[in-house]
Amino acid sequence: MASKEAGQLAARLPLEDVKILDFMWVLAGPGITRTLADYGATVVRVESVSRTDPVRTVGPFKDGKSGSESSGLWANNNAGKLGITLDLSTPGARTIVLDLVRWADVVCEAFSPKAMRAWGLDYESLRQVKPDLIMLSTCLMGQSGPLSQFAGFGNLAAALCGFYYLVGWPDRQPSGPFSAYTDYIAPRFGVCALMAALIHRRLTGEGQYIDQAQAESALQFLALPIADFTANGRNYEPVANRDLYCAPHGVYAAAGEDRWVAIACRTEQEWLALCAAMNVPELAADARFSTFKARQVNCDELDRIINQWTCRLDAHEIERLLQARSVPAHVVQTAVDLYQDQQLQHRKHFVEVPHPELGTTWVENSRFKLSRTPARVERAAPTLGQHNQYVLEQILGYDEVRIAELVSSGALG
Amino acid sequence: MLNHCRVLDLTTERGFLCGQVLADLGADVIKIEPVGGARERLLPPFFKDGAVTERSVYWWAYNRNKRGITLDLEQEQGRNIFRQLVRNADFVIESANPGYWSARGLGYDSLSALNPKLVMVSITPFGQHGPKASYADSDLIIMAAGGVLILYGDEDRPPIRMSVPQAYLHASVDAAGAALIAYYERLNSGIGQHVDVAAQESVGLANQSTALTAPLRGEETRRMAGGAQLGSLRVPLVWKAKDGLITFVFLFGSALGPFTRKFMDYLYEQGGCDRAMRDTDWVGYGAELLSGRRPLQEYERCKRVIAEFFQQKTKAELFEAARQRTLLIAPVSTIDDVLHNPQFIARECWQKLNHPETGATITYPGPFARFSASPIGFRRPPPRIGEHNREVLIGELQISDREFDQLQRQGVV
Repeated sequence: MASKEAGQLAARLPLEDVKILDFMWVLAGPGITRTLADYGATVVRVESVSRTDPVRTVGPFKDGKSGSESSGLWANNNAGKLGITLDLSTPGARTIVLDLVRWADVVCEAFSPKAMRAWGLDYESLRQVKPDLIMLSTCLMGQSGPLSQFAGFGNLAAALCGFYYLVGWPDRQPSGPFSAYTDYIAPRFGVCALMAALIHRRLTGEGQYIDQAQAESALQFLALPIADFTANGRNYEPVANRDLYCAPHGVYAAAGEDRWVAIACRTEQEWLALCAAMNVPELAADARFSTFKARQVNCDELDRIINQWTCRLDAHEIERLLQARSVPAHVVQTAVDLYQDQQLQHRKHFVEVPHPELGTTWVENSRFKLSRTPARVERAAPTLGQHNQYVLEQILGYDEVRIAELVSSGALG
Repeated sequence: MLNHCRVLDLTTERGFLCGQVLADLGADVIKIEPVGGARERLLPPFFKDGAVTERSVYWWAYNRNKRGITLDLEQEQGRNIFRQLVRNADFVIESANPGYWSARGLGYDSLSALNPKLVMVSITPFGQHGPKASYADSDLIIMAAGGVLILYGDEDRPPIRMSVPQAYLHASVDAAGAALIAYYERLNSGIGQHVDVAAQESVGLANQSTALTAPLRGEETRRMAGGAQLGSLRVPLVWKAKDGLITFVFLFGSALGPFTRKFMDYLYEQGGCDRAMRDTDWVGYGAELLSGRRPLQEYERCKRVIAEFFQQKTKAELFEAARQRTLLIAPVSTIDDVLHNPQFIARECWQKLNHPETGATITYPGPFARFSASPIGFRRPPPRIGEHNREVLIGELQISDREFDQLQRQGVV
């Protein structure tokens, strides 16, 4: 085992030869390059001092104290990247950017569509500098069309895509998804897009431009209701936890304040096992619940009965009792539950990393495992301008005099 | 881009979208189903809510651009044909419970012995190993385990999920990205590997790093009807306009405060608030609330003022103002609204595929990203049962007509 681990550590990471110049900000864009950094890509993340990334102001914060360097969301979304600050309106910064473009395989940006053009940093300009460049632009609605300039966060795109009516109670105004839902979908498609373009370039020598509308990526997750609407005219209304495929299917109160357990029965077998676990085998024979259809029709009554059983028990105990009988069940995990979750511990999900100002901070590990070349998650996100010197000296090979000139000219923001 | 790649797709609904993403990117994806068709073809909804066979809209939604064959992998002969296919495949993607394929001699170790370049991708609820690896699951269970469900719904009722299954869509797109990272690595090393995707970890991205709250000792985020509660701040995201719902972000700090300032200019101009409210320091406002220097009732009062204003304006009026002034407002859309959104129409987002088995034309969301060198095409509708049996087995594996007939009689294909 020890030698196998040593072998893995010595292995080259998949993307060690990939260099990325990253102008992205907020959530959806930087999430893409976070994943590529996990697998060895060198990512130079450009920030503005005067207009810092909003994510730096969003929690959870280390020790609950807000501050531009203490956001866990920032640390997590930008782990493993190098950070440089630039004032893109200065000629010095422009020189640095063009040198970084020559160095890079990939340029990524997440501004609203006119910004890169205004700086002369659009794809047509940059490919003059670097003909085989891959460039990814990701924004809310895409580079063209009447709403291309509409900018904002993932809650806006989620509302425009139709996610809000899918979360709610039938007797109330829809609740909508938590926070900025499309920001948790788009980065995954961004990784696929960039990797496909990198493979294409590797095999053909050809670079290209990618226009990712976060809304269009997110619409893939609505393919079912969209197809259903065109096939059957069905418009989706809030149905709380009702399900087309499972009954019972719900979230039930456990002992304690705001403690819940999710239970779903996909098959008759699971339903019978649930009845046995609740120690009410006669329920299985009850005509109101004896078939899937009957359980769907009488779901409110069924939920009430299950709730009577769950509300006296500890949520973890319910999960254990039901999973022992192969009934789908799980504690509705809070942040504290997640940190104590044995499965996540087994997968080394939480990683403590050194931090120049906080001592250490925490990030999440890669969300998938590659058997021979696993992710290396060892660094937090950069502090503001943390790698200015490193990037100019080590990556671009500038000498001390030149660096001093750039600093005094205000190029570094 | 992946036109040279072949993917053997053994997935259930847990992995449909993984194969579809690779297929969209140009790979030759062969969906392998049991003889008689995959179980998931029986999942509702059905076309015209009618007959079941070859009419599952669920199946259609995530299997475009794939070819399809039937093969009985419970029979040794079927497995042998599969092994022949593996010799020339780049990827095998599967989503069975851990150990299922190994028990049939088709685990990663066996397949990589046949083809060391193979990238095998496994999508499971909790990963290949660990204390919960054999847990029973469903979409709801994964959302509960991933720390997402607890953030969804109204605070006075149990948490609720998004009613269209999402968990395995997140996992599937992560799996496609991971597969491509492994493939890129193979271009260097010449060797494949095994990719292990746990849906629990994948969906966690949607809790927006609140998973880190416990190790960071940060402030808890809690679910709230139509918004979220951040520490003591109750932040609404869903608001009522005169004719329906909108989403609007009313937040503070160096990054979000300026948006609120712009909104207040608009509100004042429209007669919706007084000068004092407009001129409040919206950047410092959040810190003042949290420190107690400004009472929380003051924040509640501002929310009431804004809510009153919104109820006098239509969704369209508010959205128009948002577009003109870069405000964080968007209308909450139904699926019908989404299909008529001028942005998606202008970008020719909707793809209509003709389904020869019904004569129906079904609308699907278009490309997840736009590639300049190698655009995503919609080459074919989802395969019918065994549609490409002859093409693949006779045409490509060079099985003779006689052998093919015999395999059919034996129920292998």
